Amino acid sequence: MQSSAEKMVFNFDNSAEKLVSSLEYMLGYIAERTPAHVDPEDILFRSKVIITELLTNGIKHAGKDHTRFDIEIDNELLVIRKTDSGSPLYLVNSRQTAEDKKLISADPLNSLFAIWESDNHIRFASEEGSLDDFLSFEQVMEHFGILIITRSADEFTYTWDKETSSNIFRVQIKF
Amino acid sequence: MIQVSNEGPKFVVADVTITEANLSNSDQFKAELVSLLDQHKKIIILDLQELKYVDSAFLGALVSALKYAISQKLDIVLVGLRNDIRDLIKLIRLDKVFKIYNYPEEAQFAVNKF
Repeated sequence: MQSSAEKMVFNFDNSAEKLVSSLEYMLGYIAERTPAHVDPEDILFRSKVIITELLTNGIKHAGKDHTRFDIEIDNELLVIRKTDSGSPLYLVNSRQTAEDKKLISADPLNSLFAIWESDNHIRFASEEGSLDDFLSFEQVMEHFGILIITRSADEFTYTWDKETSSNIFRVQIKF
Repeated sequence: MIQVSNEGPKFVVADVTITEANLSNSDQFKAELVSLLDQHKKIIILDLQELKYVDSAFLGALVSALKYAISQKLDIVLVGLRNDIRDLIKLIRLDKVFKIYNYPEEAQFAVNKF
């Protein structure tokens, strides 16, 4: 991210009623600053689904306090960061010593992985499943939030900041 | 939230009347859809043209209702999707499990051939 990056902070009060207005506010900020060489439709679609899922995550998990969104944008990158003081993601305590990559969920459509880059820092990755393995529709999962963000982003990480007891989700889109 | 607008021997066309489908109404949406399946025992052609915003909770409810439909040897077919909602469905490959058509008439024609 270059020093000339534009930055904004938005505090979301974790209420479902304000989900759409909060989404539109942040999308408006991104739309006005998307560089000319970028396909705005693609960036706004990816931003929309990412921010929607981060807002939904805030409503579900962030507790009573507000959720902070930081958006930074320059000629090369869009970074969306969500910070809250809710309980740490369950994955923080499930790192396996011998294996730093763990399958979180899988069905014939998609597989989702957590990759530990340090004890409290996880990167998410996804792969398409094989429809040849499709035995029963019952296998299809019903939770898509992390998968949607992982697929839409060029990089999606989660950090548990012990010092401030904060959850930090960071999403990066490269232009 | 869901209103029946047309009915044939094999199908019911059901219009989703909300513009925002998310965490706050996904449970009710699923309950109404399951109730519609129980009541009519027909394939549901779900018209989503009014929908502007959806999230993962809504998509989870839709998949859950489809599982119920399949268990009853029925189906839920989607029509009238905005481009970005169709793109979201494709992003997580749910287009592999839902039949998707542009218009209700197109879906009715297909359903009548099942």
